[in-house]
Amino acid sequence: MSRKMILRVPKFQEPKRMEKSEAQRLWLLLKDAIVEVQHMNASTLSFEELYRSSYSLVIAKRGDILYTGLEEVNNHHTKNLLDKIAQAVDERFLIELNSQWQQYKLQQIMIHDILMYLDRMYVKEPQLKVFDLGMFKWKQNVLIHSQINDRLVRMLLGLIHMERNGEVIDGALMKSLIQMYVDVSLKEKETYKQEFEERFLLATSHFYKSESNLFITNNSCGAYLKKVEIRLIEEEARIKQYLDESTGPKLIKACEDELIANHMQTMIEMETGCRTMIQNDRFNELKLMYRLFQRVENGLVHLKNEFAGYVRNEGHKIVNQPENLKDPNALITSLIEIRNRFEKTLSQSFANNRDFINSVNTAFESFLNENDKLSESLALFIDKKLRGGFKDSNDQEIDVIMNKVILLFRFLSDKDVFKKFYEHYLAKRLLSGRSFSEDLERTMISKFKQECGNQFTSKMEGMFTDMRLSKDALDGFKNYLQTSVEMGKLPKIDMSVRVLTQGFWPTFPPHSCTLPPLLSQYCDLFTKYYCHAHTGRRIIWQTNIGTAEVTFRLPKKTHVLALSTYQMLIMLLFNDAEKLSLKQMAAGTSISFMDIQRSVKPLYSGKYKVLKRTPAVEKSKELSENDIFELNLNLKCKLHRIKFAATSQTDSEPERQHTRQRVDEDRKIEIDAAIVRIMKSRKALIHNDLIVECTKQLSSRFVPQTSMIKKRIENLIEREYLERFPDDRRRYRYLA
Amino acid sequence: MESYSNLEKLSNDLKNLFPNEEESYFDFEIICEQNKISFKTHKAILSARSQYFKSLFKSKMKEYQENKLILKDFSSSIISSILNYFYSGKIEINLENAIEILIFSSKYLIDELIEFSSNFIKKHFQFETVVDVLKLSESMNFN
Repeated sequence: MSRKMILRVPKFQEPKRMEKSEAQRLWLLLKDAIVEVQHMNASTLSFEELYRSSYSLVIAKRGDILYTGLEEVNNHHTKNLLDKIAQAVDERFLIELNSQWQQYKLQQIMIHDILMYLDRMYVKEPQLKVFDLGMFKWKQNVLIHSQINDRLVRMLLGLIHMERNGEVIDGALMKSLIQMYVDVSLKEKETYKQEFEERFLLATSHFYKSESNLFITNNSCGAYLKKVEIRLIEEEARIKQYLDESTGPKLIKACEDELIANHMQTMIEMETGCRTMIQNDRFNELKLMYRLFQRVENGLVHLKNEFAGYVRNEGHKIVNQPENLKDPNALITSLIEIRNRFEKTLSQSFANNRDFINSVNTAFESFLNENDKLSESLALFIDKKLRGGFKDSNDQEIDVIMNKVILLFRFLSDKDVFKKFYEHYLAKRLLSGRSFSEDLERTMISKFKQECGNQFTSKMEGMFTDMRLSKDALDGFKNYLQTSVEMGKLPKIDMSVRVLTQGFWPTFPPHSCTLPPLLSQYCDLFTKYYCHAHTGRRIIWQTNIGTAEVTFRLPKKTHVLALSTYQMLIMLLFNDAEKLSLKQMAAGTSISFMDIQRSVKPLYSGKYKVLKRTPAVEKSKELSENDIFELNLNLKCKLHRIKFAATSQTDSEPERQHTRQRVDEDRKIEIDAAIVRIMKSRKALIHNDLIVECTKQLSSRFVPQTSMIKKRIENLIEREYLERFPDDRRRYRYLA
Repeated sequence: MESYSNLEKLSNDLKNLFPNEEESYFDFEIICEQNKISFKTHKAILSARSQYFKSLFKSKMKEYQENKLILKDFSSSIISSILNYFYSGKIEINLENAIEILIFSSKYLIDELIEFSSNFIKKHFQFETVVDVLKLSESMNFN
């Protein structure tokens, strides 16, 4: 049989009632000890004895005696301390206050330790914890007492003011006294906020308001910015050194308001301000301004608008400068230069901020489309580069320039106009064999393709295909000639033909002319050969853009002249005549008088004159129908081969107008297509909506004029694609 | 990164400090008043393991000055068990000592032992002792 185990209850812990006198005895013991602690005489007391007394009182349900007693003792003690502290004069005041506070805090920790059991087991909300009770008594009887609080805050603010003016103060003392406001706050630092922080922030605003007003009127903007930056760093340090961290954002906000927000307009407009900095590329000052403005609400908006305004203004000047209007190369070069300059400002000063970049781009868009010069100028700029302007640049430099071209291109609203000009000059380069490098041509085109897609470059690529196929066709023709029967009867000439697919190439204004019989025969032979090889094709001869080499025999010397086809025809006339008037030349060649003029001009007025005007007249004088020319048999030239420009690089006004006309023709088709596309999907639409939708769809290629869209709508109604609603004339219906 | 931990060995090694041999660098004595048995201990361990001892040393009062603490209300075996627990983190609770351990740990605010010992008592609640335990509980403000 096993003995049953039961819980052993110790005898001496039998609950017993505590007599009131015993409770009083224990309280007095503790009270004496607390007073000793308050007089820093604790070393002879027994911690265990005091702890045990507090424990016994609580166990005996007499915690109330202890708690209310403690409250009284603290009350009494803090009132005594107040008198002692308030008597201290001048700077002794802060030192006395601080040392009493430090001691008091230590005592309260010790009292809390002794009364730990009371604190844990007796104190219940809303009673204050033992330590908090001590803090509360200090606050009530010392800190916010009228003899202390105001005096203390004034002295603290005075010291901070001195420090802001460059004097050295006792940071540790400041920290301890300011922290006191936090320590006595029971929740959410309310005492600190009410009694200290609020007044401190007010004093700060006041200080910086007067300092900033004075400083900015007597210094440059750059110096002011540096001052602000230093001040902000100092205040950040102040937070770490002796303020409560919760004050940080408020303090910085107050400083930013006074130092930055209130002076933004001045900093932008003042003589040494933002405008001047942008003008003079003061990247570092702008960077600082950006950093500081960034800190305040809407700060960057001001800076951005100022910068964008400057960009627009500079761009406006460039695109309207008379020299630039005459010289496309200078125009584009200066545009690339300012673009580079502003990109540098963006990256060095404005951290490549997206908004800044966008507003600069908007500015570019607006001034680049101020007049319609840019599309052609840009095409001409590339034309010059691709005719050899890239000769001295390495791959990397070329790539940079091409990318800048694409960048400017991106801002053009009438990309179709640019495209037409580009195609036009590309055709000229290819046909006259003046393109510097096919690789570079293709690189440039691939960049446009990346930017705008296949459709944009398909014609350009077609031109290259034609050039290649033409070479094959010509080889085939030469073989054909060797085996041909007819060949034996004809004198040999070296003829080169390029077969251009209609549609890929710009249509050149049609001109007719009479070829000499020999050439005509060769042309017929080629036509015969080509149409045999490619059934179903038709060949139209475009003699006006061809070139020829002619042997020019002088009495003592022989030259080879590189001429345009027209010039050749004119020169050949002199085989049968000594003197010819322009009228006779026109008659003999069937070339229009205007083309005769243009062709003859380089022959008699260039560096090497193969024709002379008889009688000689001033060069500049306009040619007339009856002017007579004869061969210049006294030509002096060391070169064997003499090259004559058929036309100037830039197009003549009629040609340019022709190009524009073709753009307009193309636009009509595009607008028609867009309208039909929209109406087909929407079935019915109000006039204004149709205009808006149409403009939107076409915007990547060009900006259509509303009047043009209206005309196209009318035209489509006539052609019965659309009709107006009978009851609402502003609405259109799609007719399937 | 790999971390290694061997709490068992730590516990065993620290146990070598208590009850200790002569040369274990003790610096504080705890005396049981009932039978005058003295325990040689270390301030560093006690203050790391108990808020009571931490405050006691910090106060620089008599016990700190004399390096000696006299405990009145507890038997030496209970004091020994608790001190063992401070060093090794281990304690054995049985029907014999459960109530005393609860009383000790509640006086000196050793929260985890309060919880463990009171659970133990609840589990072994018996008819014979129910009145005593309830009285005790009432007097100690336990629920």
